Amino acid sequence: MNCRDAAKIMDAYADGELELANAVALEEHLNVCQRCRGIERNLGALRGAVQAHTGLERAPAELRGRLTQQFGVQRKEDRPAPRRGLLLGAFAMSALALLGSAAALNLALHPARAAPKIVYHINNSDTAGAALRTLNNHLEAAPGIKVVVVAHNDGIDFLLDGARDDKGQLFAPIVRRFRERGVEFRVCQNTLTRRKIETRAIIPDAALVPSGIAEIGRLQSEEGYVYTRL
Amino acid sequence: MTDAVTRERFERLLLPHMDAAYSLARWLMRHDALAEEAVQEAYLRAFRFFESMRGEEARPWLLGIVRNVCYTALQQGRGTAACDAFEDERHGEDAVAPGAVVSFPINPELAAIESADRELVHRSLDALADEFREALVLREIHGYSYREIATIVGAPIGTVMSRISRGRRLLQRLLADGIERKDTAA
Repeated sequence: MNCRDAAKIMDAYADGELELANAVALEEHLNVCQRCRGIERNLGALRGAVQAHTGLERAPAELRGRLTQQFGVQRKEDRPAPRRGLLLGAFAMSALALLGSAAALNLALHPARAAPKIVYHINNSDTAGAALRTLNNHLEAAPGIKVVVVAHNDGIDFLLDGARDDKGQLFAPIVRRFRERGVEFRVCQNTLTRRKIETRAIIPDAALVPSGIAEIGRLQSEEGYVYTRL
Repeated sequence: MTDAVTRERFERLLLPHMDAAYSLARWLMRHDALAEEAVQEAYLRAFRFFESMRGEEARPWLLGIVRNVCYTALQQGRGTAACDAFEDERHGEDAVAPGAVVSFPINPELAAIESADRELVHRSLDALADEFREALVLREIHGYSYREIATIVGAPIGTVMSRISRGRRLLQRLLADGIERKDTAA
């Protein structure tokens, strides 16, 4: 077997899809060819990187509930609960994830619960203004909640020095007022690097984190934050 | 089949695959709400054509429908346009044997691949043309065999093998390029 033939079947080999004779022939070639061994290592690293950073996405609870009700066997407990139940029952978390205002409503209806922690995800410059307006409503409806705003990709634009909203108002003083109310803003360092934006272009009220996505994951898994995106 | 029997069978065979359906739709549509819409529509169609699913495995059958719904929606202009797709610019699909054209980049790319972060991996996958992305997503994330993938995408196994192989070469190049850009920017 030469290197060209080896390259053709390397992926099928890695996927366990190669018939035995070809697999044996490839392994014999790998034993004697350093270059192809290097290729095999790269392939392994690539597969590892993809698998480490991706995963099956879970269907949102709201979608699951809807499909189960629509297509599953009708059981008594499947019937829609009274109106309030939709927000307060098993669907509360998904409704919270879908709508910031639903979160606020839920909190307003449940004042006795421990103040929840919420991470706002902003990855789009167009929605930043709307997200801040919602956040403002959210804080008014549910005082005492802890909010961290994580921005990455185009979503960091509103935290750049001199950035203005669609009415021409500077974002910086708005962000400052949120900071005074206990909201934290975190910016993805990877985004800055990729977009070649210098750290000093970010307003001082925002902190840097190595990866915005990783931070969102960490806040949820380690600190019990609930995820919200508009 | 009576309605109750159909529902029971549908619930048993198809409802357990909601996560797989959503996950595939999410990767193809690249948008949460549009992925939800696609899954809802796919289940509606699956229910309507459920009687036609005979002797086939339920999951690949369902995912084939999800895939069709997604591509129909994308063609109609819903969803993220694939205009930025990273195509193999040199050869048409199936023109050559897998792995024979896009040359294997070899080390020192290893270090670049190993240090790729989540954002770069996702960005690079998103930049792949649809046929490469769906093949890699079904293989690496869903863990399907080449045969199952062939059923889902409606293509011969040889084509699936070719797409996976070429998709990986393209992805590898994207990851390495992404890292290089980061390095020069830092």
